[in-house]
Amino acid sequence: MSPPLIELTIDGGKVSVPEGTTVFDAARLNSIRIPTLCHQQNEIPVGVCRVCVVDVGGRVLTASCVRPVESGMVVSTASDKVRNARRTLVELLMSDHPSPCARQQQSGDCELEVLARAEGVEKPRFARRATSRGRDDSSVAIAVDHDACILCDRCIRGCDDIRHNDVLGRMGKGYRTGIAFDQNLPMGNSSCVSCGECMISCPTGALTNKFHVGTSLRTGEPASPETLHELPVFAGVSGTFLELNRGAIVVRHFRAGEIICREGEFGSTAFYMIDGRAQVSINTQMGHVKTEGGARGFLSKLSSRLARGAEDHRDEESARRTIPIDGPADLPLEKPVAELGPADLFGEMTCMSFYPRSATVRAVIDVTALEMLRNVLDILQRNKNFRGQIEENYRRRALDSHLRSVPVFSGLTTSFIDHLRDKVDLVRYSPGQLICRQGEPADSFYLVRIGFVKVWQAHPGGEMIFAYLGRGGYFGEIGLLGGGLRTASCTALDHVEVVRIAAEDFHLMLEKFPEIRSSLQTVATDRQRENRERLAFVESTPLQDFLAQGLMEAQSLLILDLERCTRCDACVRACADAHDGVTRLIREGLRFDKYLVATSCRQCRDPLCMVGCPVGSIRRRNSLEVIIEDWCIGCGLCAKNCPYGNINMHPFPVQIADADSPGRTRAIMKQKATSCDLCTEHAEPSCVYACPHDAAHRVDPRKFFGALLAQSKRD
Amino acid sequence: MLLDRTQRQWMIATAILLVIATAIYIPYALNSPQGPRGGSAIGLSFGIAGFALMIFAGLLGARKKVPVWRVGRAQTWMRGHLWLGLVSLPIILFHAGFHMRGTLTMVLMILFFIVVASGVFGAALQIYIPRRITVEVPMETIYEQIGHIRAQLREEAEQLATAACGSLDGTIVIGAAPGGDASASAVGVGVEVSEDARDLLREFYLRRMRPFVEDPARSHSPLGDSPQASGMFEELRLRLPVELHDTLKDLESICEEERQLTCQARLHRVLHAWLLVHVPLSYALLALAAVHAVMALRF
Repeated sequence: MSPPLIELTIDGGKVSVPEGTTVFDAARLNSIRIPTLCHQQNEIPVGVCRVCVVDVGGRVLTASCVRPVESGMVVSTASDKVRNARRTLVELLMSDHPSPCARQQQSGDCELEVLARAEGVEKPRFARRATSRGRDDSSVAIAVDHDACILCDRCIRGCDDIRHNDVLGRMGKGYRTGIAFDQNLPMGNSSCVSCGECMISCPTGALTNKFHVGTSLRTGEPASPETLHELPVFAGVSGTFLELNRGAIVVRHFRAGEIICREGEFGSTAFYMIDGRAQVSINTQMGHVKTEGGARGFLSKLSSRLARGAEDHRDEESARRTIPIDGPADLPLEKPVAELGPADLFGEMTCMSFYPRSATVRAVIDVTALEMLRNVLDILQRNKNFRGQIEENYRRRALDSHLRSVPVFSGLTTSFIDHLRDKVDLVRYSPGQLICRQGEPADSFYLVRIGFVKVWQAHPGGEMIFAYLGRGGYFGEIGLLGGGLRTASCTALDHVEVVRIAAEDFHLMLEKFPEIRSSLQTVATDRQRENRERLAFVESTPLQDFLAQGLMEAQSLLILDLERCTRCDACVRACADAHDGVTRLIREGLRFDKYLVATSCRQCRDPLCMVGCPVGSIRRRNSLEVIIEDWCIGCGLCAKNCPYGNINMHPFPVQIADADSPGRTRAIMKQKATSCDLCTEHAEPSCVYACPHDAAHRVDPRKFFGALLAQSKRD
Repeated sequence: MLLDRTQRQWMIATAILLVIATAIYIPYALNSPQGPRGGSAIGLSFGIAGFALMIFAGLLGARKKVPVWRVGRAQTWMRGHLWLGLVSLPIILFHAGFHMRGTLTMVLMILFFIVVASGVFGAALQIYIPRRITVEVPMETIYEQIGHIRAQLREEAEQLATAACGSLDGTIVIGAAPGGDASASAVGVGVEVSEDARDLLREFYLRRMRPFVEDPARSHSPLGDSPQASGMFEELRLRLPVELHDTLKDLESICEEERQLTCQARLHRVLHAWLLVHVPLSYALLALAAVHAVMALRF
């Protein structure tokens, strides 16, 4: 039975609408337009913006979107009184609105600004808000500008009532009121699944699509939402969002033999294999930069060449037998080749954190793959269905090789790994997100699968960084083996994924494999000792300046006495002469008193150069000296990351197969990272040896500056 | 390079060498019937010894060309060059008997004096100038990079001035003052500056600062002098609203860096300019000395 009709008058015209209809809908059904900002047809009206005020003859004006019609009601939607009230409301909203907002700039359809123009509001008479409510750019796909938010709640209703995601809500009071994700987390760290409903609902530029991420790839066929939804892994991914990001995911076809991506290249996309088979490999010439020649005679010139670990064994060569790459499997060191197939995802770190490609992928047979940008991959990573498949693939194919790639776990049996297969969790963390906190109960052991983790302790003077852990690194063993509490905090440096092994499974593993227990205990003891030594060192170093300049980080410094140095650059020329024309020293850097700490590897205790290496080929010995492993692919990221510019790329000619002339080879230049080797072939570094003015010295900073620091402290 | 206690051994060795040479020369000069001559046995010995020392001193340049050859530390070579080169002068004078006979020997002697004098002068500069650079140029950079850094500073100054004043040629820059009207310029978020203040800063920049940053050495601007520049900026700070003080501070820093780079370039040129005299004349001296030796021995 249909509800009875109610008769009322709107702007002088008689209308009949069903009982329960709001004044706003009654007007709309009779083609009378009432402006509004907080109300949408697909959402429950809340009447917060009050822009839809009408005069129903009462003491005050009423919000038409929430006011039900009454029999005989006389409604005026455009009287002077109503228009003045509406104009004032719009003016008040505009006074706090950053005009033009992002949406107005992008598409010129910010509902508030369009309405203000229609109402003749040009410059609000009211004062602006004194403080900014800020921006949130943590989400890969959506930009949040809290200053542009008019608190209409459309996004909250879209998220909670329409999508039932229940991520969005309100926070704060008064001027500080705003929208919040989960418990007021940054959007990128929240449980938001990037469905895009909030963005579509927003009337202003408060929630906008991040077009700058890139919405179109130049090569490949753009994949429509309909095509993508035909693939099982895309079930549940928001069609709205795929539509908004059309072009950010494309279908690529590669013929057999074609290169899909090449090691060392910088990129911004990930690949998801739909069909075919591909080979993933590292084609770099294995070897490290070795300088030699000086020992053969005093007139022989030094030269650098590539030497393999087998012929030039260095102290503490890596015990790793696999090379970590940005893909579902690690590569064996002896023959760095593996195969990829349907449902494999690779290039995640390149896509999410813009690291260089870690390996070359070549189609073995014809391959069809989806190539996607960061915003699409982020959506997929938040989709349960897609995540489920990727995790299943990992458990099935990569868990055992990943665990065994860590020397400590190389003795695990297949049966135990099978036991772990369904027990481990893959957990993702956004940049800056805390993985575990110092002092909390230790409940898990973690193995890094993707990204880099910073291990640190909080101290009164700031945080003390203990280590950066990349793929294959692990943490959490000290707490589990010791007193049950975390001894340090761990934070994701970039987009990180870790394999989490629960405490009970970890203890079961130690019970079954006593040799792993003893290895882990040794590692834990060593780590604790190193951390203690480091802390003791910091506490005993008195000068803040010394710390601030990073000199404390160094184990060996090249210093120039500026009162002796005649700026003749003999040191730089000597370094270049010693290393095939590539200098590893630049006569510029930090100053401490009359000394210039020249740019040359400091063998830092906090080696930022190691963050981001796509194949984990840069590490340090126990002596803290940097060592670059044979499988360095020459991408140059470590050189870029070193804050002191102390890692150089050394070019070498390498013979590769000539694609134009089958069966023949041609020379190309490839690079290997290298840092100051202190000219270990000689008794004294070349730079120091060649200084005619006794100005250049290689020193241990603690010994050299010790007296100076003590003197400064006394003064 | 410093003449400190680390040079003591060289100093003593040089003094001993000089004393021995003098001890030989005085009786030889007093007892020679025709006076000391280069062609006599002792005179020839002094000549050979002096020429050998000159050659050793001249080899420093060659040593520097092969810095990684393990043929002795460059520091040792430099000290040898300095002290043995210095002692070669009295030995050659002993060889010549303090006379200049003939055009060639006269030219040789003049060259020798110039080379030694320029060397001593250079050594003095190498003691004095590095200290001055260290003290006066805390923002010292690599000399070859000065031009590049200046270009960056010019660009930075233009950007700062444009951000604070709008267009520097007087027209309004679209987007320079978001949300503001034509008579105001946004300096920071939500901060607006009056037209008068903007004009004052613009005039200062165009008339004073831009010519200075474009050519600090030739502009003869008061900004080239630290106290005067400080006074000018202090006066501007009093006349301009507080919203512009950060911009002023940045512009003042740019002027300071320009002054330091100018100072560094000047001192660097002074520090190395003497080599333009010392090095070519040294080679000329060695060549002529060789000619002199051949001619004297043959004819």
